[in-house]
Amino acid sequence: MSDQTDVLQGTLDLLIMRTVALEPMHGWAIAQRINQISDELLRVQQGSLYPALHRLEHQGWITAEWGSSENNRRARFYGLTKAGRKQLTTEVEKWERLSAGVNLLLQRT
Amino acid sequence: MRAWDILRSRLRSIVFRDRRESDLSEELQLHLERETERLQATGLSREEARLQARRLFGGVEQIKEASRDARGTAGWDALVRDTRHGLRRLLRDWRFTTAAVLILGIAIGANTAIFSVVNAVLFRKQAFADANRLVNIYQNDRSGKPMIVIAYAAYMEMAEYTDVFSGTMASSIPNPVRYLHDGAIRNAVAEFSSSTYLKVLGLQPSLGRWFDETEERPGAPLVAVLGHQAWTRLFHADPSIVGRVIRMEGLPVTIVGVGPATLRGTLDVGLGTDFWMPITAVPAMMPMGAPRDAPTILVPLFVKARLRDGVTVAQAKAAMDVLGRRLADEYPDQFRNSGEFAIGPGITVLPSADVRVHPQADVPFMALASIVLFIVGLVLAIACSNLATLLLVRGAARAKEVSVRLAMGATRRQLVRHLLIESLLLSLAGGIVGCVLAWWGMRALQTIELPFRVDMNVDYRVLAFAIVLSLVTGVVFGLAPAIKATRIDLLQTLRDEGLQPIDHRRLTLKNALIVVQVAISVLLLGGTSIFLQATAATRALRVGYAVDGVAMLETDWRFAGYSESAAKTAHDDLLRRIEAIPGVESAALLRGLPMASTGMSIVVDGATSQPGPEVETHMIEGGPGFFDTLRIPLLYGRVFDARDRADSPRVAVITEAMARKYFGAVDAVGRRFRLQVDPNSWTEVIGVVRDTGTGDFEDDIIDPIGPTYYRSYTQSGAQATTVLARTSRDAASLVAAMQRELRAVDITLPVITAKTMAQRLEESQTAPTVVATLFAVLAGLGLVLASIGLYAVVAFAVARRSREIGIRMALGARSQQVVSSIARGVAALIAVGTGIGLFSTVLLMLAMRAGGGSADIGIGNLTVYRPSIDPLALLAIAAVTAAVGVLAAFVPARRAVRMHPLVALRHE
Repeated sequence: MSDQTDVLQGTLDLLIMRTVALEPMHGWAIAQRINQISDELLRVQQGSLYPALHRLEHQGWITAEWGSSENNRRARFYGLTKAGRKQLTTEVEKWERLSAGVNLLLQRT
Repeated sequence: MRAWDILRSRLRSIVFRDRRESDLSEELQLHLERETERLQATGLSREEARLQARRLFGGVEQIKEASRDARGTAGWDALVRDTRHGLRRLLRDWRFTTAAVLILGIAIGANTAIFSVVNAVLFRKQAFADANRLVNIYQNDRSGKPMIVIAYAAYMEMAEYTDVFSGTMASSIPNPVRYLHDGAIRNAVAEFSSSTYLKVLGLQPSLGRWFDETEERPGAPLVAVLGHQAWTRLFHADPSIVGRVIRMEGLPVTIVGVGPATLRGTLDVGLGTDFWMPITAVPAMMPMGAPRDAPTILVPLFVKARLRDGVTVAQAKAAMDVLGRRLADEYPDQFRNSGEFAIGPGITVLPSADVRVHPQADVPFMALASIVLFIVGLVLAIACSNLATLLLVRGAARAKEVSVRLAMGATRRQLVRHLLIESLLLSLAGGIVGCVLAWWGMRALQTIELPFRVDMNVDYRVLAFAIVLSLVTGVVFGLAPAIKATRIDLLQTLRDEGLQPIDHRRLTLKNALIVVQVAISVLLLGGTSIFLQATAATRALRVGYAVDGVAMLETDWRFAGYSESAAKTAHDDLLRRIEAIPGVESAALLRGLPMASTGMSIVVDGATSQPGPEVETHMIEGGPGFFDTLRIPLLYGRVFDARDRADSPRVAVITEAMARKYFGAVDAVGRRFRLQVDPNSWTEVIGVVRDTGTGDFEDDIIDPIGPTYYRSYTQSGAQATTVLARTSRDAASLVAAMQRELRAVDITLPVITAKTMAQRLEESQTAPTVVATLFAVLAGLGLVLASIGLYAVVAFAVARRSREIGIRMALGARSQQVVSSIARGVAALIAVGTGIGLFSTVLLMLAMRAGGGSADIGIGNLTVYRPSIDPLALLAIAAVTAAVGVLAAFVPARRAVRMHPLVALRHE
């Protein structure tokens, strides 16, 4: 567990939006997906996922709809809105600029 | 679009709060289940998996809280939660809640009711078109202060200035008139106005039309415009009223229209105007007011004019100054007047917007309103400090609850918010109760027969006043106790074993509040005593004429269509019938009500009095048999008899005071005087009678009248209206017998007044009695409120010291000692409060005495009562306050010493 990295404050939004951009998902699945895709390098504090989801929904970037989960339970599925898609693009650009900058700094010093 | 989404999501969150809560729980629950399943799949036992999932997830409640915060509805949720909690709490402490709501309700109710009256009188603005181009014009008095326009002729001259004014209008001060409605005589308020009235104000009649120029000419058939309120109230908004003829002062008057709904009257000081009539109707409607043969109509007029485009107020003023000097030359008689209508050549022009009632009256009017509001405000101050006391006491009692919550991690801000919401809920409930009480109180006020009718209602301003009042009360008087309650030493309070450090500081917030409450109650009691003194002073005044067994019956022959000669025969017949009633010792005919006085300026023949030849007197209508019936003793000469007719020389009977003051000797028989307004009115003194009081409270105390003379109605050119009779038996049954005789003469004759002399005297004191009662009620209210506060503080102190008291009792202290140790502190508070209150009362009395005793309100003087400082009354006030205070403190103190020591020791 110790080789996992806590997700940076602020990048959680990006990860969530990137994840639900593919298909609508419920909370637990989003957490699992982030873990899987990042090869278990990134660890999302599971609880902190929910305030982030509600904040994004409140901001109108993702929407939530009740559907049934893989084990046939009622679950809230989150999907990206049009505004969210636009926001995701800018967030990705911002992240790329930031990481490129940080990488550059690390290589040159 | 996004803003809308956010708003919608927020609204949805607020509206569907419960569903949102269960959704959130379900969502998180699902997560935990899935995670548990996943972990189970890795080989953990079900129980271990469940715990592990929880550990990974974090605190469920914190996450919920954070999710709610993320939606931005946290503040709202907290508000709802606190409100619910507060409501539950207040319902549980229903005794405290009822007391607090009632205290506030009474105070806010009293304030709202009084504010409604003040609002009706002072703050409502008239809606005139393009009001900033309107100016008010006044003739000045000799010292240059604006007075009033005194004559129709002067107004007509002003109206000639069409180069300055695009329109000019005049309207008299409201006058009482009587009219016949459904077979009964009713009192109404009439204004005598110009035909230009509505056009200058820029208003439209709501029905029919205003009277026109031809109807304003002298001698034109009488017409009137009905006030909108009178139309709806008296005639049920019947549109067929236009064109109908009604009898006013016995004369047929045609209604030509109904005034605008927004117009209550020219003065609009709460007296709604019922009729507007042309100024030329004055001689017909007010035969008593001015002498019939006067050269011009003398009536106090308010004049407004609309400035022509481009004309400034200063230019108008310059034009009027020229006119003022010309008027002084053309109408020298008008300017020779002294007393009430002593005018000089100056003219004042003011923008109408700058004047509320009258430039001279506005300041005293506002002062009067402020005083009334201040007095009622005092009661509110008591109530508020009372509520603060109760909240403080309650806050201290809840110290443990507060400290537990602080220890559990509640922030101080949350706690203060919580306590503040409680006090806001209390004050809002108080505000609602207050509005109900105010509404009820105003209905009660309107049923009191006052000499005038104030049209009051709760309008938006009054409601806003009540609501703001209750909110401010809630915040201001809830905040301090809330902050105090949460500023506690956690460890100390939690460790608390019932042994509290006794607060030895004298100047605590609670003590100061109690002192203030007691002081204000004492001041209000002092005010009551001043009014009681004023009322008693009138009662004690030597009436000087017969009251017992005297009755009066007033009718008006004109309303039954009698000609002058027919009326004379009829009222002589009535007099004979009444004289024949068994027990009647004496009866007389009279015009108007007995002992009602009218101010008159006279010129004394051969007088050398300064500053001028004119002097002020009051005239009372008399007639043959008058002095005998009222048993007013004759000192010199003779009284009126059959010799004094309309065509015989004018004669008068004067009082000894007038004889002494204006004729230099009590025996003034044979001397002469004349009315100032009429050079041909020389009147000979035929007799001198003893001084008496008059029929009106105002004449004796509020505005003591000057020297008085009597004239006979038989020489006034008007008909008698009233029969005055004295019986050796019961006056009330004489009233009934007189009415029977009137019906026997003519069943169609209306009864205007039928009462005993004692009733008439009593009624003239209605207003001061109402004021004294109001004061007494307020003072009583204040005292009750203050004693509730005292009770709460003592009860609380006793509760906190229960353990100490228990120990002392167990160690053998006598109950007397314990009670007196509690009483000492309370007595000191009451003593200081009473002292401050009495001191302020004496200051108030001194101020009233030093106030010169007179307030000039431009249209007549208002003499203020000058109270004497009565040590006995002050002592009584102190005694009452002390008694109430001691009683309030005694009850809880007694309970403390009755407590079993064991119970007290265990008491927490």
